[in-house]
Amino acid sequence: MASKVSRDTLYEGVSGILENSLKKKRGFLETVELQIGLKNYDPQKDKRFSGTVKLKHIPRPKMKVCILGDQQHCDEAKANGVEFMDAEALKKLNKNKKLVKKLAKSYDAFLASESLIKQIPRLLGPGLNKAGKFPALLSHQESMIGKIEEVKSTIKFQMKKVLCLSVAVGHVGMKSDELAQNVNLSINFLVSLLKKNWQNVRSLHIKSSMGPPQRLY
Amino acid sequence: MVRPNNNQLPENLPQLQNLIKRDPESYSDEFHIQYQHFLSLLEVFALNPSEENKSLDDTVMFIAQVAQCYPAACELFPKHLADLLRNYATVLDPAMRNCFVKALILLRNKNLVPALDILELFFQLLRCPDKNLRTFLQAHIVTDIKNMNAKHKDMKLNSSLQNFMYSMLKDANPKAAKMSVDIMIELYKKNIWNDPKSVNVIATVGCFSKVTKVLVTSLKFFLGHDDEDEEEDTESENEVDLKGALLANRVSKKTKKGQKQLQKIKKQAVKAQKKKKNAPAFNFSGIHLVHNPQGMAEGLFKQLQATNERFEVKLMHLDVISRLIGIHELFLFGYYPYITRFLQPHQRQVTRVLQFAAQASHELVPGDIIEPILKTIANNFITERNSSDVMAIGLNATREICMRCPLAMGEDLLQDLAMYKTYKEKSVMMAARSLITLYREQLPALLHKKDRGRQTEAQAERKVRAYGEREVHDTVLGAEALLKDSKTIDIESDEDSDSNDGQWVTVNHSDGEGADGADDDEEEEEDDDDNEEEDDEDNSDEEEEEEEDESNAKDDGDAANDEEASKQKKEKKDLKILNQKEAAQELALTRIFTDEDFKRINAANLKKTVTNSRKRPLEQDRAEFVKLNSIEMIFKKRKHDKESRMETVQAGRQDRERFGWKDGRVNEHCSKTNSEKRKTKNFGMMRHKARSKVKKSFRDKQLSLRKHLLHQKKMK
Repeated sequence: MASKVSRDTLYEGVSGILENSLKKKRGFLETVELQIGLKNYDPQKDKRFSGTVKLKHIPRPKMKVCILGDQQHCDEAKANGVEFMDAEALKKLNKNKKLVKKLAKSYDAFLASESLIKQIPRLLGPGLNKAGKFPALLSHQESMIGKIEEVKSTIKFQMKKVLCLSVAVGHVGMKSDELAQNVNLSINFLVSLLKKNWQNVRSLHIKSSMGPPQRLY
Repeated sequence: MVRPNNNQLPENLPQLQNLIKRDPESYSDEFHIQYQHFLSLLEVFALNPSEENKSLDDTVMFIAQVAQCYPAACELFPKHLADLLRNYATVLDPAMRNCFVKALILLRNKNLVPALDILELFFQLLRCPDKNLRTFLQAHIVTDIKNMNAKHKDMKLNSSLQNFMYSMLKDANPKAAKMSVDIMIELYKKNIWNDPKSVNVIATVGCFSKVTKVLVTSLKFFLGHDDEDEEEDTESENEVDLKGALLANRVSKKTKKGQKQLQKIKKQAVKAQKKKKNAPAFNFSGIHLVHNPQGMAEGLFKQLQATNERFEVKLMHLDVISRLIGIHELFLFGYYPYITRFLQPHQRQVTRVLQFAAQASHELVPGDIIEPILKTIANNFITERNSSDVMAIGLNATREICMRCPLAMGEDLLQDLAMYKTYKEKSVMMAARSLITLYREQLPALLHKKDRGRQTEAQAERKVRAYGEREVHDTVLGAEALLKDSKTIDIESDEDSDSNDGQWVTVNHSDGEGADGADDDEEEEEDDDDNEEEDDEDNSDEEEEEEEDESNAKDDGDAANDEEASKQKKEKKDLKILNQKEAAQELALTRIFTDEDFKRINAANLKKTVTNSRKRPLEQDRAEFVKLNSIEMIFKKRKHDKESRMETVQAGRQDRERFGWKDGRVNEHCSKTNSEKRKTKNFGMMRHKARSKVKKSFRDKQLSLRKHLLHQKKMK
């Protein structure tokens, strides 16, 4: 059986996007996103799926990550030039909703060390969680930079209220086969999450932020 | 048509109505007379509005019926009625009021009155102490809005109507508020006003209403279960039977009417077909559409703590809050100590309270907040001074909580609870074992060593997640399964396609060529292939830059691979597994899997859960809500209830002969002989005949004896 998206269409789409972005330069680095339409899926009865996958190439290099760390991690962060906060700084926020909201707004993701992560709900209240930026775990065994890279290259598929979803899989500064690899992996992973695999997929598009969409399936 | 000499038209309104509808222009004079009559009647009526006035009733209905024929003349007619209703709403005679309302609805259905005005008026009418009127009005409003949205949705009108509804919800009059909630909920269920806006109004206003009835209906809305199935059933009943109609038309007498009907049915069938093709609109449970779940949960919790309502209402609060927490993964730490208060075996509806505790636990709640709940359950329920049912329910609840938040359980507590696995009562034993199976899957380290069991492959692969850690996959889970087949082909395709494509490793997948049973040697070969593949990738990057040297580079790469391969063969299995993972990732990067690939992946994943396990794997799919049944399940499930058992028995009896004594007749329908019949007859009837045996003459006795002896001789 032939694959649902042939390599040629994928390549055409990817190169189409890159060409379009070259034609008209924008003032920022355009993101490339994958848009998925689902079918035969009752979001009420069927299980809502969610899954995270680590892409091979970092889709959003500009993501800002903040370390909420203990002493050791703070020192490491300082050495690496990563922004960080320690427990004292968090306590100073004093559960003030506005401050927590501001903190959540100013970063794209958070990492917290093991000893601190359990206190975070108590220290910060529901603010971070509300913004969908609950910190990820950073243990002492892992290297901080590696973990930050991992966070940057991780994308999350989560179906919510509607039968379509979109995720950022790359940017127009990437080479075409890097982008294609990312698209491949994310399509494969997404389809593996679905109950009936390809039978649940209505459409696949890739699209850069300002460019026209390219239909894959 | 109308005979002038006995013209009764002024009195006979139905007839006039009929005539007007056929030919409005020629009867406009008559209508104007009637309209003047109505105006004068109205003035009289206004003097004494509480009285019933039959003639006004008739005239109003008449004018409402024909109003569409004279729109200019009747422009003020609805206004008259509306004014009347507005000014004398409570004073009017119920019958008269009903009549005016009906007339207005008639006008509304003909679209002679704007929807918003009439809606406002009807909400004012709710003050009347008339239940029939209220139900009538509610039904009308719902159908009216439904009809308005049947063809297309007029967003502007809808939003103005909705705004009016929202203002009514805040109304001081409890009846109006209740009705507005009812209408909104009904329209939501009918998929007409299913936007988040109305849900959020119910959430922010309805759930915090001071009127208990409004509060309860709003809470129930968020607890609501799907009644959709029933609706679907009714829809399917309405489906048209095109085939039957075609047949009927062919067979029965041909008439114009029949033709028309057939056309209609055909149209309907086409419509139904279209409807089926369209994507079905899904009705989300309202709880998902709430914009600010955290705020709502906090507000409800505050209200709950302050409230003095009945226990049922409190339970509803608890239920809604727990669902909000569970679905949106909220932090509401006050909730857990509050619910702990209710965790006593003699508490009313304690299983539901346990259900809420389980619903409110999710992975992001720190373990030390849920742990007190587990401790309380263990202390109050799972002790031997309680009956076995209570213990089993406690264990079940513990399991449900731990399923959602496995980190809450402490090692000591779990090992204590696991000891009930040999308890003498079966229900307790089963519950304890289910807890053990759960932890075998989630956190085997917490169990006593002998309880951990032999791990299946899937369990061994699973990593234990610490608090806040997220599961991040590198590739599609179980994609290694695809490697086994595609390997051998890779080499060929790579070597064949030296000069073409270049940048991509073509991984053609075909079942025929793939070697299914992979021996050890083959697997080792696979290793090499993996390396090749990766190297090819590297090569391909280079190739991009220098396309002309492509083939040379490739050859070099292959040569290098061969050397490497000989070294690699000696390396150990650990590396191989790693390589397999990498290869699988590579595979996922380079091509898009087909449905068949996924079938294989799923089969391989399933196989992993089955190897080494004696029991069927734990169900992974879990619903968003905890089922009450999973906590209350303390009985062994019977295979059959009596009815289903009887069914199978009857089915078995169908095609077999009856057991027991059988009559040996050749023809089972023939009648019995007289002597056979005598055997079953009542003795009283036969007594005199039996006596004849004694009274027989000597000769008769002789004859019968001879007959008997001859008969016996023959038998020998």
